[in-house]
Amino acid sequence: MNTTNFTVIAYLVYLPVALLLTYYVAHSLFKNSLVYMRDIFNGREDIAHATNTLFRIGFYLLNIGFALYILKIHRFLYNIQHTIETLSYKVGGFSIYLGVMLFFNLYLFFRGKRVSKQKREEYKMLQQTQGNRG
Amino acid sequence: MSLNVMAYCIYLVITTLIILWVGRILHKNGRVFMLNLMQGNTHFTDTLNNILLVAYYLFNMGYALLIVTTWNRVETTAELIASLSSNLGLLILILAVTHYFNLWLVHYLSHKNAIIHS
Repeated sequence: MNTTNFTVIAYLVYLPVALLLTYYVAHSLFKNSLVYMRDIFNGREDIAHATNTLFRIGFYLLNIGFALYILKIHRFLYNIQHTIETLSYKVGGFSIYLGVMLFFNLYLFFRGKRVSKQKREEYKMLQQTQGNRG
Repeated sequence: MSLNVMAYCIYLVITTLIILWVGRILHKNGRVFMLNLMQGNTHFTDTLNNILLVAYYLFNMGYALLIVTTWNRVETTAELIASLSSNLGLLILILAVTHYFNLWLVHYLSHKNAIIHS
């Protein structure tokens, strides 16, 4: 086997793994986030759905873009062992990055939930004071 | 056919598909937010939404075509995959950053609107 074959094989293994990983993470994250969205937008279904879709698109774009951008292997791959080591470094790094992005999105959802709860309580208090005055 | 030409063909097909697909989803899902910002004026919202979609297509297709002018010389299959992937990745990352900026803008504008109208 000559040298180009190893690089091409590495690319052809890395691409599906990275894309499927992104798909799996996004799918499981945004299937469950709809509950938070409904809570944040007070049960307004259309806005909750639209926001969820927009966040999902953002997640896909950011992570697939990053996965493709870091694909290039600058090292010279001379045997199978070296190929596996390089691939594992790349896929592992990308998984850690995906995990960080997952937690960032979760943080956004929890923050949105907290803010909307705070707003609802303020609104309730405002109504109560107006009711007392009236 | 040289590998460069092949790279351009694959690149242009994939970029066009991604840009059209993302544009359609944003056009469909952004309408609710715009309707909210325009206080329910449907006619104005739809017009503005269509204009924004056309502006988005022009901007992104123009940028995607500009990338082609700075393409490196491709000699092997490995270089073909690497250059395609890094250029596509850059384009998608730029789309992502613009998208998050727009989400923030919608959030910011609706917040401002709520303060004005409360």
